[in-house]
Amino acid sequence: MNNFFALSPILVVVLGALLVLLLDVFLKKENKNYLAYISLIFLVICAFVCIRFWNKNYSYFNGNLFLDNLALFFIFILVLATGFVILLSMKYITFQDVNYGEFYALLLLALSGVAIMLSSIDLLIIFLGLEVLSICSYALAGLKRKDEKSSEAAIKYFLLGSFATAFLVYGLALLYGSSHSTSISSIINFFITESELSIMALIGLALVIIGFGFKIAVVPFHMWTPDVYQGAPTPITAFFSVVPKAVGFIVFLRLFVPYWKNALNTQAIFWILWVICVLTMVVGNLVALRQTNLKRILAYSSIAHAGYLLIAVLAQDNSSLVFYLTVYLFMNIGAFAAVIALSRKGKEYLELEDYAGVGFKYPWIGVTFSIFLLSLAGFPPTGGFLAKFYVFSTAVREGLLPLVIIGVLASLISVFYYLRIIVYMYMREPAREIEIAVENPALFLVLFFCLYGVIQLGIYPRNILVLINQAVSSFF
Amino acid sequence: MIPPNYFLILSVILFVLGSVAFFVKKDLITMFMSIEIMLNAANLAFITLARSANSADGQIIVFFIITVAAAEAAVGLAIILLIFRQKKTIKSEDIKLMKG
Repeated sequence: MNNFFALSPILVVVLGALLVLLLDVFLKKENKNYLAYISLIFLVICAFVCIRFWNKNYSYFNGNLFLDNLALFFIFILVLATGFVILLSMKYITFQDVNYGEFYALLLLALSGVAIMLSSIDLLIIFLGLEVLSICSYALAGLKRKDEKSSEAAIKYFLLGSFATAFLVYGLALLYGSSHSTSISSIINFFITESELSIMALIGLALVIIGFGFKIAVVPFHMWTPDVYQGAPTPITAFFSVVPKAVGFIVFLRLFVPYWKNALNTQAIFWILWVICVLTMVVGNLVALRQTNLKRILAYSSIAHAGYLLIAVLAQDNSSLVFYLTVYLFMNIGAFAAVIALSRKGKEYLELEDYAGVGFKYPWIGVTFSIFLLSLAGFPPTGGFLAKFYVFSTAVREGLLPLVIIGVLASLISVFYYLRIIVYMYMREPAREIEIAVENPALFLVLFFCLYGVIQLGIYPRNILVLINQAVSSFF
Repeated sequence: MIPPNYFLILSVILFVLGSVAFFVKKDLITMFMSIEIMLNAANLAFITLARSANSADGQIIVFFIITVAAAEAAVGLAIILLIFRQKKTIKSEDIKLMKG
């Protein structure tokens, strides 16, 4: 059914961004916080729209853009993530002298790219949405203009990101050449009807995997991740670690789950992803062991989590993938919030030594950060444990036992570097005094919400699982 | 008439040349140019495949890709300019603050 309402989440977010850009001209530098409130208002409207449209299945542009429950669920989740990032950055950007109005506008525009990607099954439109997201991300990474590390992060992200884009576009061309269409359903139809192995189409699909592999940071294509995460402003790092990854996996879900269910020649692509998955889990966790910078540790941990998420894709289990992504949002943004909490005007504490004794000096930050780290490591009763449990148990049921064994061993390794941070916080004498700005209500709000999310999803996930099942049962 | 396969082979050659140049060259602008060559190789492939399939879709997609490449160039050149202002160089081996 063609209905203009299908565009409203995208329009609301873009409208918010344009309004922020316009008002930015009239506001003095001290008053930029108003822009944060305006962006938050538009995010709330967008979230409200998502709730109202649940089960309505509006579509527009002849079905090229549509809002099925899966799209709505994830637009809601990522609106939440962007809201957290905005709350985290309100104090941070004045401390670090990056309080430009463009900060919020770019975040909202990136979110509109996300909404475009989520609400389409045409690979061309997904590509356009991805570019909206990526181009905003390149600019966001380099927003600390006086900091050489930030510009270095921006140039690395830009060069490798657009290199990956070129692969994605070429893969799209080859898929178009073999199936005469760019929509996912006709590409899958082509793979179902074709009994002969078509080399051109398979190379095309492999190139598309490479293109998205860069965005979700899986292992042969992860080189940019730690540098970009370290250099970018920290709230933006939190954004990068959650949002592009989530949309990338949703595209994988829309592309590969029906493909594996129906098509005949699936072995080659399956094994390519299998190898990528193993490499991601092993390399991500092993390299994280020898990092001393908190942002780099979290970068490698997010690479490793992409590996666990790939297990869910390989097991063709939609609901555990979506549940894992939801939990990952709360625990990862929570962890970054705790890292951002340790900062004051003009100074950030990011080295592991700085964390010695923090647990007793700032008990709130210590306790919440420990819970997020335990959740990332997968301890009960947190959400991280249940998410891993669902993924691994469905993978065993689907007969991916070797993959699960590697996954469990890899997450055992990961326990070491997560616990090392906690050990530093509680069992080391502080080597140097650190001093932080404690008055940051927005940040404590985020810490509280993430803590609530992690605990709620770990102890009583039933409500959210019902929603997730509604979302994944009916996607196009 | 030149057979369409020739154009397809040309586009593959351009794409490979672009990706090799990306790793071999040390200058940020040249690296960026090699990415543009890869994108244009994809454009050539789209046009050729649209022509041999007798459909106009592929030719329209090319316009989208040109637009995206232009938007990327705007942001990318600004970032390269930022690097040049800070370091007075755009050699990729001089950009090495972060490692590991």
